[in-house]
Amino acid sequence: MSTTALAARQLDKTFGEGSTQVHAVRGVDLEVQAGEVVLIMGPSGSGKTTLLSMLGAMLRPTSGEIVVDGNDLAAIPESRLPKLRATTFGFVFQDFNLLGALTAQENVEFALNLTDVSGKEARGRAQDLLTKLGLGERLSFRPDQLSGGEKQRVAIARALANQPPVILADEPTANLDSKIGHDIARLLRTIATEENRAVVMVSHDSRLKEVADRILWLEDGAFRNLQNMETDPVCGMSVDPQEAPHLQAEGDTVVYFCSTACREEYATAESPGRHAFPGMPSTDQHGEP
Amino acid sequence: MVPVARRMLFTDRRRALLGVAGVAVALVMALTLDGIFAGTTRQVSRYIDTSPADIFVSQEGVRTIHMAISVVPVAVIDQIRELTGVTWTEPILFSGDALEVPAGRRPTYVIGYQPDGRGGPQTLIEGSEPGTGQIVIDDSAADALDIAIGDEVEVMGLSWRVSGLTTGMTSIINTTVYVTFEDLALVLGSSNSASYILIGTEGDPETVANNIEAVIPGVETQTRPRFSAEERTVVKDMSTDLLNIMSLAALLVGLAVIGLVLYATVLSRLRDIGVMKALGLGGLGVFRLVLTQAMWTVVTALALALAATFGIGAVVAALAPDIDLVVEPASLLRTGVGAVLVGALGVIFPLIRVWRVDPATVFRRTS
Repeated sequence: MSTTALAARQLDKTFGEGSTQVHAVRGVDLEVQAGEVVLIMGPSGSGKTTLLSMLGAMLRPTSGEIVVDGNDLAAIPESRLPKLRATTFGFVFQDFNLLGALTAQENVEFALNLTDVSGKEARGRAQDLLTKLGLGERLSFRPDQLSGGEKQRVAIARALANQPPVILADEPTANLDSKIGHDIARLLRTIATEENRAVVMVSHDSRLKEVADRILWLEDGAFRNLQNMETDPVCGMSVDPQEAPHLQAEGDTVVYFCSTACREEYATAESPGRHAFPGMPSTDQHGEP
Repeated sequence: MVPVARRMLFTDRRRALLGVAGVAVALVMALTLDGIFAGTTRQVSRYIDTSPADIFVSQEGVRTIHMAISVVPVAVIDQIRELTGVTWTEPILFSGDALEVPAGRRPTYVIGYQPDGRGGPQTLIEGSEPGTGQIVIDDSAADALDIAIGDEVEVMGLSWRVSGLTTGMTSIINTTVYVTFEDLALVLGSSNSASYILIGTEGDPETVANNIEAVIPGVETQTRPRFSAEERTVVKDMSTDLLNIMSLAALLVGLAVIGLVLYATVLSRLRDIGVMKALGLGGLGVFRLVLTQAMWTVVTALALALAATFGIGAVVAALAPDIDLVVEPASLLRTGVGAVLVGALGVIFPLIRVWRVDPATVFRRTS
């Protein structure tokens, strides 16, 4: 029987006031079960990072609630949030965000120290985790001595150190090549399945679709129904036909785009005297700022 | 626990070295000033410290040689000699003036004593004790003023022939010269009086000193250690304000350096600090992180400064024997406590900066 690891209800986040007010996230409902991998996709500026920050107790929602382990994050005093982050969430970042002054083992130990696990026990657990992730020979290496894939595995070991119920991953494969990206995606899948942890990933990388149990599309701060989405022929992103820029192609076909830039690129490539559009470019064009 | 504060501080070795060196320089300034001052005050009381006398008798109310005039009737010597516990007595005369030669001048204590007695130089390294019209000077002053045995020098407006050299009696403040009691009595116009009476005792000097004061009116008696301490105190009191201002200036320089070092370290590691906060490092942990870095900087700098001060002391001793640099435990403790306080103050601005780091910055791309 599955249990809910993370639940967000009617989550709203507004920045600024008056004419400069921005609704970054609006009315988001989300439930993630233990052992489930949820992939949240969406165009740049759609609110993915804001949502992830709120889910990870780093940003307070304007309204709504986030319940993890029976705790409503929005109601917990600020002073208790750091400890809660240390015990409840494991974070995996696009830039790895390892502490450059520490070795691989110390990076994992540091996370354990935050939950008052120290000394021999912390060292032992860090070594076990890193060895399990294939980094047994890299324990004393500093991040600048590790490859991208190795860094991300250290980051995953750090995320798992305190056995949190929820792993939040922000573009976990964006800085990795194809093969390593696949390895990391599969690793996150394995962690969810074998260790019964909820994994929430935010990404543009369609490779992660393979390992996700559910894919959610976030656009303009709200989830859209992915089944009603169209695919941008330029960048390959899913877009909502109700709001996306579009143009009439040959015949009755209507083509939808994630942005006017993609639409113009498509129109230029399709115009007479020009080469045909060469194909789908990499998703890097839509990396977030 | 992972020594994250230390690692962050010392990972960039060049920055850490510059920071520690900057703080160390400030602490060296404080320690050296203190050391020179301590050495000077010791030199000032050297005549007393090296004297074989157990008790010094002066005019009532006079507790020092420096900045004092003492007149004790010679007649009391016989009375003192009769007292229990007194083994010997010897009068000396004292005056302050300058030792002058064509090459220059140097302030000097002038001691008038009875040759072959116990009030004169304890270490005569060359020549002989003074006879009439003769003077014994210190070798360091002799070197500085290019004076040799047999040369003429001027003291108290009179010309004296140098008969011998003593040693260890010159400081950066002054030197000490010795003439006969009779000669100095003539110059000062004092008959039947001495400045101080030196007394040797058997048994407890304190008891003998109290007995002298009880029996003989108008005199002050002090044991050698107490007289020496009074002498140093009067010199210290005259210079305390200046010394405090200079020490404060040195510590303020240290404060600025520590603040800058920590601020620079913090600025270069803001992302790491954001990551740590995102992972669950709380406010207390952040405070501990920055304070630990400050303390590492201070302690390392203090050790470096201590070593450098001893090094400077050795160099100074070789190049300028008049300057005695003494690192006293009290000075080390004072500078150490000052440095720790300065380190604690130095974390304020870096801490404010760190406090403002938003843990959500971890989601921002670095490139």
